[in-house]
Amino acid sequence: MNILTILVSTVFVNNFVLARFLGICPFLGVSNKIETATGMSIAVTFVVTLSSIITYVIQVAILDVLGLQYLQTIVFILVIAALVQFVEMVIKKTSPTLYEALGVYLPLITTNCVVLGVAILNIQEGFNLIETIFNSIGASIGFGIALILISGIREQLEPVDVPEALEGFPIALITAGLMSIAFLGFNGLV
Amino acid sequence: MKETIKLGLTLFLITAISASILAFSNKVTSVRIAEADKIADQAAKTEVLPDGEKFEELEEGKAKEIVDENSKITEIFEGYKGDELVGYTIKIKTNGYGGEIEFMTGISTEGKITGIKVLNHGETPGLGANATKAYFTDSFKNKPVDKEVAAEKDPTGDNEVQAITSATVTTDAVVEGVNIAREAYNSKLAK
Amino acid sequence: MKLSKVFYDGLVKENPIFVQLIGMCSVLAVTTSVMNGLAMGLAVTGVLVGSNVVISLFRKVIPDKIRIPAFIVVIATFVTIVEMFMKAYTQDLYNALGIFIPLIVVNCIILARAEAFASKNGVVASAVDGLGMGVGYTLALLILSALREILGAGSIFDIQLFGPSFEPALIFIMPPGAFILLGILIGIFNSLRKKKSATDA
Repeated sequence: MNILTILVSTVFVNNFVLARFLGICPFLGVSNKIETATGMSIAVTFVVTLSSIITYVIQVAILDVLGLQYLQTIVFILVIAALVQFVEMVIKKTSPTLYEALGVYLPLITTNCVVLGVAILNIQEGFNLIETIFNSIGASIGFGIALILISGIREQLEPVDVPEALEGFPIALITAGLMSIAFLGFNGLV
Repeated sequence: MKETIKLGLTLFLITAISASILAFSNKVTSVRIAEADKIADQAAKTEVLPDGEKFEELEEGKAKEIVDENSKITEIFEGYKGDELVGYTIKIKTNGYGGEIEFMTGISTEGKITGIKVLNHGETPGLGANATKAYFTDSFKNKPVDKEVAAEKDPTGDNEVQAITSATVTTDAVVEGVNIAREAYNSKLAK
Repeated sequence: MKLSKVFYDGLVKENPIFVQLIGMCSVLAVTTSVMNGLAMGLAVTGVLVGSNVVISLFRKVIPDKIRIPAFIVVIATFVTIVEMFMKAYTQDLYNALGIFIPLIVVNCIILARAEAFASKNGVVASAVDGLGMGVGYTLALLILSALREILGAGSIFDIQLFGPSFEPALIFIMPPGAFILLGILIGIFNSLRKKKSATDA
């Protein structure tokens, strides 16, 4: 498959948050401010790309060879959990500034379904290593765009008088719905 | 350090137990999964070629010749009733709205489309996903293979099939696939 | 602690979807039809009860420092078992739910219950907690999927409810509808709870 097609498709058409519903928890949880949203997006991009490469290699070099495909879920999630810990430690040691910026988001990423979702989808779609990398980057950018866009909208929403029952999450979900309608316009692009 | 090793060993033990439990349940279910796959495949073939009782893969040389000409065809089987060849089932992948659509179409030796069945798709529920519904798939039945199939809102002619409302891309993808199968049959398989 | 209270907490008072607002991904994704919603709800309930029981059984043996990875392994094991059996016996449902079955692993509800309840309570209570949370999750899925299927396709369990002249509002079956309906449902739940606490006081 064409790399450009993969990118356009994962960023816009099948946006991981707005069309595939992956990574909803951080999408709603850390989208109050543009600044935190940006930090989260960068941290996710980093982890998703790295973990996709590692899980891809493990799948091809170990699980497929030994016929242990049924251990996929358990192996992948352990790799991701270990990787997140490792990345956290490395960043803490090497770059305190980066750690300060990303640190708080890293532990949250283990249970962000984008990470495991992308890793599994790469295998399911039968991508090769290059396609895997671009698919992961596309997915992260898609996640980032959705996250940053909604945080921008939510910042504007803050002074607005929302019905009491809809304050917070409900109105964020409805906003996300409207964004999702906008993203439907990208459908059929690929 | 000693504690780290102990923790590592504990975690390893937990993982090892989990892996062996999974190995066991994999053994229990894998036979059944393979069987279910086979049954589903067989059911799809009988559905698109109701006259067929027994299905055999088309001989390799001939199959390769067809696939080389059009790579959208992924699999061809011959269907037999007793010893008599009654038709073919052809598996095709085309591009729909939400990714690839994989479906099977049956063509009888009399030169008629005997049915289609959508196997895998990522189409929008309520729109393109209606390609799996009978009102769409049944409209392909008994269409002659010598004329190109086309989708219409109100099909009248003997080569027109039912278009899915608001899902032109999906309709076109399936129609394109059926036409590919039709041409492959006309040029390579028809006697 | 009374078991009926544990169950009720999971079902209503601390309903994972409407109150705790966790585990949303699968809720939004699989609720295009009631059948899918029900299947996903049952799969999650199964994993939740299983992992809660096992974690509660071994809660004194698992060292505190590695409890999170240990919990994840237990959960992943149950998820894989559920996946295998669905693949073997209910292939259509397996295909419909797709990637969201393995993703039960990262469903926050399960790890949250392991950490907050099962690792501190007895086996029976943990099983009931898992069941309550699971049924609460399933209930939320059923409400949302029923609304989406009725509004978006005019059917329920694939049975057409209205005449052929009914034009379903397709948007509700597509992704935007999921977001908007869930937002409205949580809003309704919020205002109901507020009213209730006001009359209680």
